[in-house]
Amino acid sequence: MVHIIYVEPSGNRRRVDVTEEWSLMQGATANDVDGIVGECGGSCACGTCHCYIEESRFGELPPPSAAEIDMLDGVAAELRPNSRLSCQIKATAALEGLVVTLPETQG
Amino acid sequence: MFTFDPYSPAVDADPFPFYKTLRDEHPCFWSQQAGMWILSRYADIVSAGQNWQTYSSAKGNLMTELPNRAGATLGTTDPPRHDRLRGLIQHAFMKRNLESLSEPIRDIARTAAEALRGSDRFDFIDDFSSKFTVRVLFAALGLPLGDEQTVRDKAVLMVQSDAHTRAKGPEHIAAYNWMQDYAAKVIAERRTRPQNDLISHFSMAEIDGDRLNEREVLLTTTTLIMAGIESLGGFMSMLALNLADRAEARQAVVNSPELLPDAIEESLRFNTSAQRFRRCLQKDITLHGQTMREGDFVCLAYGSGNRDERQFPNPDVYDIKRRPRGHLGFGGGVHACLGTAIARLAVRIAFDEFHKIVPNYRRTQEHLAWMPSSTFRSPMLLELTVH
Repeated sequence: MVHIIYVEPSGNRRRVDVTEEWSLMQGATANDVDGIVGECGGSCACGTCHCYIEESRFGELPPPSAAEIDMLDGVAAELRPNSRLSCQIKATAALEGLVVTLPETQG
Repeated sequence: MFTFDPYSPAVDADPFPFYKTLRDEHPCFWSQQAGMWILSRYADIVSAGQNWQTYSSAKGNLMTELPNRAGATLGTTDPPRHDRLRGLIQHAFMKRNLESLSEPIRDIARTAAEALRGSDRFDFIDDFSSKFTVRVLFAALGLPLGDEQTVRDKAVLMVQSDAHTRAKGPEHIAAYNWMQDYAAKVIAERRTRPQNDLISHFSMAEIDGDRLNEREVLLTTTTLIMAGIESLGGFMSMLALNLADRAEARQAVVNSPELLPDAIEESLRFNTSAQRFRRCLQKDITLHGQTMREGDFVCLAYGSGNRDERQFPNPDVYDIKRRPRGHLGFGGGVHACLGTAIARLAVRIAFDEFHKIVPNYRRTQEHLAWMPSSTFRSPMLLELTVH
């Protein structure tokens, strides 16, 4: 298990144990975290699992694929330098304690 | 002794008691009859779906695979080839690119529903959903009209399997071959006279400078037709069944059509038609005390994961207020259904129009005839009476 801290749109912080290798989107939806939809099921096809990664740790993540960059272009909330799609990020031990902030809207 | 035989008519009719025993007592179960392991708990299925390196799709994803399909379609390849193939097709199925289909779909739904006006008894499948799905698919893929009924019949036949031989029967293979010939004709036609549609683009697409090979073009097109008709139609009949059996839920969505998406999501969880898919292990792995070997096939029983009380409280209750998140009705991970957005759109519009003509209905038969299939589950006939 990897501890991930999700900050819901209300500001509420949720500390969730995410099974290793699950995506941050799956960790959130399986634990009823607010602010993520994940409409396409995790295949990088909808842009409704948009999140903001803790800025100081953004560089620790594997870089986004071309498909993810393309989908990020169409997200509903403001696109920021630390925007990612949470379905494309796997929970690994290296991400222990990562803070993931969910936007106001997923569209 | 407990057995789980996905070819048994008893499992076609009601797999859920079997699933419960699997989850509680045999979470990693070797099914002699299927010749594969069965994973039935939500968390195990999600984990396996994420780990495509170990749980490979390249040897086929249907429980009873069709010849020659493995390695040539979205569902039967692994990344990175899968991702590139998907990249060529996916944009056509994204929500943001489906807006233009919304009105044509509504027209198709309206026409199909209008034909039911005045009837007090009809087969939801033959008289409504199959007419609707085949026309929607033809519109979405730009297929030439004329063969709709045959295409539909073959699509439904090719996903079935034989309960006695536990394999595809000659009639299923013949339907599959017919569909490949049909797809080949459409592809050839589009290459001669390209249009601005999915098959035209796809049949001439390249990956990293290489053209897709003919087998990929042919079998991916064949699979899109199969999924677009059979999977969409199968799911619609399950939603109709759920609403026919539950007057309160039906009344709620008839009175407030904006609740239809909630009924759709709960039906995807509760008894979606895509019940089981398979993977092939690329290395030995031990789970719940069982060691599965490299080369073994593993069934991911999505329909069971969706009823796992470890994930969904009161899982056997159909509740449109549940709004289930993370359900496995469309699978999950890299192989999650390509058609999630068009399916949700089409089903919502279809039931919106259907309910305008037929707001009150119940089924006539207590026991339904279920399709013989190790992968999918839906009734062959769903007779409804209007009241």
